[in-house]
Amino acid sequence: MGIIEARDLWYLYPNAGEPSLKGLNMDIGRGEFVLLTGPSGCGKTTFCRCLNGLIPHFYDGELRGELRVSGLNTREHPIAELARHVGLVFQNPDNQIFALTVEKEVAFGPENLGLDRREILEAVEWALRAAGIAELRHRGTNELSGGQKQRLAIASVLAMRPEIIVLDEPTSFLDPMGAERIFEVLERLRREFQITVILIEHRVDLAVRYADRVVVFNDGRIIANGSPEEVFGAEESRLAGVGTPKIIELGKRLARRGVSLGGLPITVEDFVSRMRKALPAHGGPPPAWRMRRREPEFPGGSPIIEVEGISYTYPNGVRAIDGVSLTINRGEFIAIMGENGAGKTTLVKHFNGLLKPQTGRVIVDGVDTSKASVAALARKVGLVFQNPDDQLFAESVEEEIRFGLRNFGFEGDVIEKRVEWALNLLDIERYRRSSPFTLSGGERKRVALASVLAWDPEVVVLDEPTIGQDYAQKERLRHFLMQLRTRGKTVIMVTHDVEFVAENRPRVILMAGGRIIADGPMERIMGDAESLKAASITPPEIAKAFRGLSGYGLPADVYDVEEAAEIIVRLLRGDGD
Amino acid sequence: MVMALFAASIIFYELPPLMAILLLQVPLLLMGGVAREWARTLRGGAMLAAIIFASNLISFYFFQGYTLTTEMVELSLSLSIRFISLMTSFSIFFLTTSPDELSLALEKARVPYEFNFAFITAIRFVPVLAEEAQSIMDAQRARGLEMERGGLLARLRNYIPVLLPLIVNSIRRSLELAEAMESRGFGASRRRTNLYELRMRGGDYLVVVSSMALLGASIYLRLSGIPMGPIIPPRRIL
Repeated sequence: MGIIEARDLWYLYPNAGEPSLKGLNMDIGRGEFVLLTGPSGCGKTTFCRCLNGLIPHFYDGELRGELRVSGLNTREHPIAELARHVGLVFQNPDNQIFALTVEKEVAFGPENLGLDRREILEAVEWALRAAGIAELRHRGTNELSGGQKQRLAIASVLAMRPEIIVLDEPTSFLDPMGAERIFEVLERLRREFQITVILIEHRVDLAVRYADRVVVFNDGRIIANGSPEEVFGAEESRLAGVGTPKIIELGKRLARRGVSLGGLPITVEDFVSRMRKALPAHGGPPPAWRMRRREPEFPGGSPIIEVEGISYTYPNGVRAIDGVSLTINRGEFIAIMGENGAGKTTLVKHFNGLLKPQTGRVIVDGVDTSKASVAALARKVGLVFQNPDDQLFAESVEEEIRFGLRNFGFEGDVIEKRVEWALNLLDIERYRRSSPFTLSGGERKRVALASVLAWDPEVVVLDEPTIGQDYAQKERLRHFLMQLRTRGKTVIMVTHDVEFVAENRPRVILMAGGRIIADGPMERIMGDAESLKAASITPPEIAKAFRGLSGYGLPADVYDVEEAAEIIVRLLRGDGD
Repeated sequence: MVMALFAASIIFYELPPLMAILLLQVPLLLMGGVAREWARTLRGGAMLAAIIFASNLISFYFFQGYTLTTEMVELSLSLSIRFISLMTSFSIFFLTTSPDELSLALEKARVPYEFNFAFITAIRFVPVLAEEAQSIMDAQRARGLEMERGGLLARLRNYIPVLLPLIVNSIRRSLELAEAMESRGFGASRRRTNLYELRMRGGDYLVVVSSMALLGASIYLRLSGIPMGPIIPPRRIL
């Protein structure tokens, strides 16, 4: 008998036109690690809410079918009772922490259950250790980093001793290192305590190695359910807008070209060990062949942003930027990378004058930012922030786009033309009269983008544009960035999405501890193991795999799946070139 | 104790008892180990105390028919000292009592847990909200909003693009918080346990009793009509 059994689960939110779950059947066994994925709005979150009884006890609406969790029918048992069997961890770490200290936060659940003090203390101690945050016990919850907060959220549900833990995109706000730490904690919970883990995640590439099973949702239904090999080996998951991890994609392409690795590789290590078996001990010379592509051009255009030895310390004493110099030319495409707190966002806030340098100076298009208003600079440098909800306020999408144009004093008929243009550019005409608040997360992000691009700034800065975005949304963003570049715009993105950067081949600036530690074309920086490590960035998967096979003389700067497949095929054929 | 001193500083406006109160606060500051923090607040407070002194003196001078007596100087000085002792009471209380302890004390006083929870959560979200307000302000300024532009009405209108997202986000947050609370069994048991419990020890009783005594004595002194000032015989200066 499974620990979770769903039979024809169907659910309609109150006032919704279409059901969010359309007949779901699923069995999950005790101690399984299930990776649940699918495009935004596919019903994953709704399913989570069913698991601990938030549906139907907290949300009204119509629920059909049956769901049993640990043998309990969720319809007949209150949330508080189900909470002792299923722990739910949400996406935003801040919106699930109530207490002022770590210890009190973890105790919150058991306190609510009215356990006695000794039991609570035991539960707290165990949960803190299991989540790997025992040393944070007496810290204030406000001083924690995003990753620590999310591990605290895990500890807090663990304290109620559930058999199942469900996490709804827990790493959306974290950098790749922070995400790995979370996944490792989950791995341990499963291994040491036989806790069933259900992980909802867009970052399939990072999470897949931990999963026994992958379930793909689309439009309220399950469209794939099986081992990672089975699911990613099939074509359907790709069609549903779930990206296949690069290493699996490479395995698939090799298989198609007749290279048998004895099954689909799921992780880099897996791929490397399978390849070692397939390759002859003393192979021929390494292939010199490389995919021919245009050299990454660094437009020799005149400088548009010049940063000269700036430093910035926040009032709380944190030195976010420590002596940074940098020149950005017109028409360049740049990715600024580094872990959370490396100073990336602080740096880009200097580009439109939101922050003025405390030492050194910043020149934007010939103007010293300390002598210009934010409004004057923002006209040239459009900065789009990570969270669209921090800027949407108007009653309609059209109004939202007009806001900036009006602030910059455009004429009435020009404003209307620009609004049309921006609506078209981001493919949101059909929402023009809708309230931005009723749109989905991805759509809100596009409205925020349109509201900045409308005044056609020469430089576009995007802060974490891929965070929380599914595969299809990232693809759309990639095309959009290309479009901006062909129109001659300078595009700067702040990101820690390594694979996205590898696909887009920008100039990469690595930051750590408020300084720039490396700066150059993507191909070179992503091959610079030392600098990547200093910036807490793991190289793209393909590069990792090739480094693992370095004994065969493979180049270290290959990032493209097709190129990698071709090189391996030639290596196996023994072609010198 | 602190509360009693606080109340006493409001009761008196004469110099000698106020001086006594301030002296009583010194050992409390030392016992709490917050003398240094207190000194820092005092630096800010000294300026205000000086303003209180000067403004009182000036208004006495003008409203008492352009005369200035030693009594007026003494009274102004008392009022400044009253301000400092009030400030000290506040400092001692908030520097030595964490919100968690305060909540435990409220619980001990049988305040329903829902109020306690709301109180703690409110404190917890102050920095979160402040950070969010900053992000919103940055985002809107990046879209050309100039907060300081225009007349009074226009300036008020400039706050709409900042306040609206803040409100909408807060509503969204409260829904998420409610979900998280439910998921952690909020209100599951009518007899909720708290990880910690405040217990009254001998010393605590002593503090309660002496505070009561102090308060009682102050009220008695006030009502008895025993003269406490002025200490310098009244004499005209100006």
